[in-house]
Amino acid sequence: MLVDVEVNEREEIPSWLAYGTPVFTILAALLVGAVAILAVGESPIVAYDQMFVHTLTEMRNLSEVMVRAAPLILAGLAVYLPMKAGLWNIGAEGQLIAGAVAGTLVGLNVSLPQYALLPLMILAAGFAGACWGFIPAWLRAKWGINEIITTLLFTFIAIELQLYLVRGHMQGGFGGFPQTDRLSEAALLPSFTGFDIPSSIFLALLVVAGVYVLMEYTRLGFQITFVGSNDEAAEQAGMSKFKIVLFTLVVGGAFAALAGISEIAGNRGRLQASFEPGYGFTAIPIALLGRNGAFKVLLAALFFALLFVGGDSVSVAMDVPFALIEIIQALIILFLITAEFFKSYSIDISVGRAGSDPTEPAEVTAND
Amino acid sequence: MTTDELLRMESIVKTFPGVVANDEIDLTVRKGEVHGLLGENGAGKSTLMKVLYGLYTPDSGSIWLNGERLELEKPQNAIDAGIGMVHQHFKLIPRLTVAENIVLGSREPAASFRENGSEEGLVAKLSQSTPVQAVASRFTLGLEEPSHRIEGLADRYGFDIDPSATVHELGVGKQQRVEILKALYEDVDLLILDEPTAVLTPTEADRLFETLEELTEDDLSIIFITHKLEEVKAITDRVTVLQEGNNVGTVETDEVTKSDLARMMVGHEVLFDIDKEQFDTGQPVLEASGVRATDDRGIEALSGIDLTVNKGEVVGVAGVSGNGQKELAETMAGVRTPTEGEIRLKETDLTGASPRTFIDQGVSFVPEDRNRHGAAGDLSVMHNAAMKEFPDEQFGSGLRFDYDEVEEYASILVDEYDVRGVDTVKDAVAKDLSGGNLQKLIIARELHRDPALLVANQPTRGVDVGAIEFIRKRLLEQRKQGTAILFFSENLDELFDLSDRLLVLYEGEIVYRTTPEETSHEEVSMFMNAGEREKLTAVDASETAAAREGVTDGGKQ
Amino acid sequence: MTDIAFLTGLAGATVTASTVLILAGLGELISERAGVLNLGVEGMMLAGALTGVVATVWTGNYWLGFFAGSLAGAALGSVHAFLCISLKADQAISGVMLTLLGIGLTSYFGSGWGDASFSGFPDRTVPVIGDLLLEIPIIGPALFEGPATDFIALLLVPAVWWLLYRTNVGLELISVGEDPETADTMGIDVFKMRYIAVLTGGLLAGAAGAHLSLAFNNLWANEMSAGQGWIAIALVIFARWRPVRLLLGAYLFGMFNALQIRSQGLDLAFSSESALSALNPVIEFLMDPAIMSMYAYIATIVVLVVTVVWSADNRSAEPGSLVQAYSRESD
Repeated sequence: MLVDVEVNEREEIPSWLAYGTPVFTILAALLVGAVAILAVGESPIVAYDQMFVHTLTEMRNLSEVMVRAAPLILAGLAVYLPMKAGLWNIGAEGQLIAGAVAGTLVGLNVSLPQYALLPLMILAAGFAGACWGFIPAWLRAKWGINEIITTLLFTFIAIELQLYLVRGHMQGGFGGFPQTDRLSEAALLPSFTGFDIPSSIFLALLVVAGVYVLMEYTRLGFQITFVGSNDEAAEQAGMSKFKIVLFTLVVGGAFAALAGISEIAGNRGRLQASFEPGYGFTAIPIALLGRNGAFKVLLAALFFALLFVGGDSVSVAMDVPFALIEIIQALIILFLITAEFFKSYSIDISVGRAGSDPTEPAEVTAND
Repeated sequence: MTTDELLRMESIVKTFPGVVANDEIDLTVRKGEVHGLLGENGAGKSTLMKVLYGLYTPDSGSIWLNGERLELEKPQNAIDAGIGMVHQHFKLIPRLTVAENIVLGSREPAASFRENGSEEGLVAKLSQSTPVQAVASRFTLGLEEPSHRIEGLADRYGFDIDPSATVHELGVGKQQRVEILKALYEDVDLLILDEPTAVLTPTEADRLFETLEELTEDDLSIIFITHKLEEVKAITDRVTVLQEGNNVGTVETDEVTKSDLARMMVGHEVLFDIDKEQFDTGQPVLEASGVRATDDRGIEALSGIDLTVNKGEVVGVAGVSGNGQKELAETMAGVRTPTEGEIRLKETDLTGASPRTFIDQGVSFVPEDRNRHGAAGDLSVMHNAAMKEFPDEQFGSGLRFDYDEVEEYASILVDEYDVRGVDTVKDAVAKDLSGGNLQKLIIARELHRDPALLVANQPTRGVDVGAIEFIRKRLLEQRKQGTAILFFSENLDELFDLSDRLLVLYEGEIVYRTTPEETSHEEVSMFMNAGEREKLTAVDASETAAAREGVTDGGKQ
Repeated sequence: MTDIAFLTGLAGATVTASTVLILAGLGELISERAGVLNLGVEGMMLAGALTGVVATVWTGNYWLGFFAGSLAGAALGSVHAFLCISLKADQAISGVMLTLLGIGLTSYFGSGWGDASFSGFPDRTVPVIGDLLLEIPIIGPALFEGPATDFIALLLVPAVWWLLYRTNVGLELISVGEDPETADTMGIDVFKMRYIAVLTGGLLAGAAGAHLSLAFNNLWANEMSAGQGWIAIALVIFARWRPVRLLLGAYLFGMFNALQIRSQGLDLAFSSESALSALNPVIEFLMDPAIMSMYAYIATIVVLVVTVVWSADNRSAEPGSLVQAYSRESD
């Protein structure tokens, strides 16, 4: 039996493939997730029902989704913006932590009314995140040093720094627990009661709008797009790759930092020494899913927030560990990559019996 | 077949989509001779040799070596048959030593496992057994024997090369010798050298020629691909001239002059007949003096260039690729900083200024490599249309950037310059455009802004016939508008049709300044390929005069 | 605590802590030398750790567990190989994704295995001359007494060195990573070489994880690799892709690790009579465990920068084609 597999480069991408990719990817990941659920002896249908239907139809769950979504949106944008310029910000988690630390520091030690304290905290966080992104950005812009490694290493440094500070100077009063005091009311992001909408989501939406406007309505956005596509041509056209690299990674760092402080001031209320929510890494598949626009990033982040909240409730209600969500996350990336391949290449598989086909045998020469 | 014939290629045909690279070419090479293969870029030399080396399969034709027919499906077949090739771009790994590079892939086991016929005994028998050999060839590395052999070969031909030296440490000339050693190590009978002096200094080139002579004394045959006439005269015994895929003749080198060869390389019909208005040119727009520049590898590519382009004037620069065109075009366009010299644009000193400054001062640039430097392939036609003009006020004031305006702008460009294959400027992606249409888009972008100076490097290379004519007409129109145009081309017709003045660039210097009326194709070709005019014989002189006479009728030889 | 005892303890802890890094680092070194960056080491380590425990419990044999763990790493490695080599996917993304997958899968399937009881690798000494070797002050007990995996790691260093620099296979591996086109021309199977290299990388990462759970910690815990997979990757760059330097780097990082724990017992402050006592707060800061943990990362960044900026002739030690997918251009 002869199995002939032919891989050919596609001339053009069929539109169903181009638009359907994110959808197929998610469906495929959920399918594999279903297998994992079966493996622990639970029903995927019940699980997914709990995860999606229940979460979407109950008000308090929706509010929870929005609380989770805010930092995810911001982290997603933190990866998205440098990605448009052709850079990989793998260190969003570290920038996030830097922002959480800086913002909490201000929140605990500065007395101001809420309308002044919160913006100050946000500024401090943003500044810290920008600093965290600055050194890898500069190393990349000036000497071409791989930003994947440097941003990652800075994440580890941030984790240790947070450990040092929270167990040390920032440690809360009673009991010797490795965490800070609870933030005062003035330092907490308010939510709009009645609907229970966290204000952090507004911050996130604001940044989404900002990024959207940047990319769609400014010259800077045009240049970012161009540098990300062909940096040599961009340089010949008078654009400064140096400035673009610096800008996107520094601003990306600031966005991740905002995610950090919004998680502390808008959700947890205090900073623990072991704070490492993982949003910085989840941001990677979010940015990949939403790579065509800031609003797509928003949608992807909302989906992941849904996944998280749903996953939480499933792990409580059933015997399915929360880690399922992490698996699905990774699978989405996996299927996205394979989908990329299929977008560019088509595969034709033909099966036949040896010797039955009268047409010419395929002649393979080394370089034809 | 005569007894001293080594290689015979018969009726080789090789076509690619849209072009016949080799059109029934015959080639014979004798034992112990240096056989030159001469022709312009695109004449088919590289293709023919790639066929010989097994990199390409010919559509038809046959290859005979020592009377035996060869079937070459991959380079290994050619190597096994005794054909070696020294590529223009060395296939060496800098981090490895000379010996390692030469031995790579042959899986020589360590000395104790080598096949030594004289060894007897159980141990020797065991070490020759197949499974042991399989392991030994993989997990040992035999460098001692090969190193001796390499040293022997190197000594024989006077190469001063240490097999344990790292390739990276060696200069280019020595690296080339390693490439030659690689071929000699395989015991070749025929050695193909592809433009070997392109990367060598004159001294190194002389040493190479000495080496080649010694090789031929050992009955090795050499095919020497080149476009340089003085090299042909210096080293070859016979030379075959290719022109547009055809073998126009094989001659004994001693029996021809350089101008004979130039004529053989050139002669083809004029395809385009463009009317060019004559009018007075204006003030100087571009003035370059004493410009020196290095290429990407840090080697000097321009050795002191002075040139001027006036308003409404077209200056054409003739020359074979690799003589500094890229660097000259880039320095004049402001994309490369010269190491010495001055560049002035209309009285303003722009030496060392940023690309943005040049653009703002009215300089437009059409680069040689349109895919790498001219456009972002993954972005839309709209994006690429605005690549240089985006800071302009017409697209929005302050921070605002109006993509609707950009879309309109792009549509205008596409319409005016007949860019085809574009549904909407927003959806059409640059890399989906054909070469000709992408080039038209780039030229549209660069000309539409009414530049003071246009620098164009090979503006019609790789472009279909229809687009070529369109582009040339546009260039002349722009000239009427007053733009100063500096363009580089390898196509003599194009240069003669479009230029008001002609320069020839050779090895980083301007070796000839003239006008189309004062010169001929052959003369320019000579300067392009030899850097100087050979003393004409009486016969040549009268022929050149006749050629000049033909100019005023609008026809060319 | 006497100084000798302190140094001995420190040396011992250094060697023990470094085995993980050596194993995972050598695997990554081989993969990167062939031109493929593998950022999935952390995930592969965890897969190896969990699989090692599960297999040991099921079979009662920690050697089988060790092999099973290694194979688990290789399995994830095969996914990375397929994506990056055959599908030419972005190597960075594929790697990070596999790390996330590894973390997720082991977290998911590993819940409940945290209490598993089994006997892992016991401490051993070198046969025959073992007692003699232990007599060597400081280094003796550090190097020559420990779980078998410590010895495996130590022996692998010269083995990999020899493989790279003294065998044909190693020569071809290096050439594939430097210039796959040239290697292809010389008749080397680039794809096959890269596949083998990546699978080996995964195998060793899995082995590192199995060592963690079966020899170093004797348990399974969620995310027990604690970032050491990433450190191994950084180590390879730090070592400029050379096995012996990798060993030294692993010892260095292991020492930072061990120092950090042991520094609690140290009193390095200047006496309050000395003028230098003003520096005491600074010393206290520098010796804080969390701050000490940072040194490894900062050191890596510094080495990276120094490597790139001060390369004598701008020649980097980095394999020429690292991170680029190879496709043979047909004409």
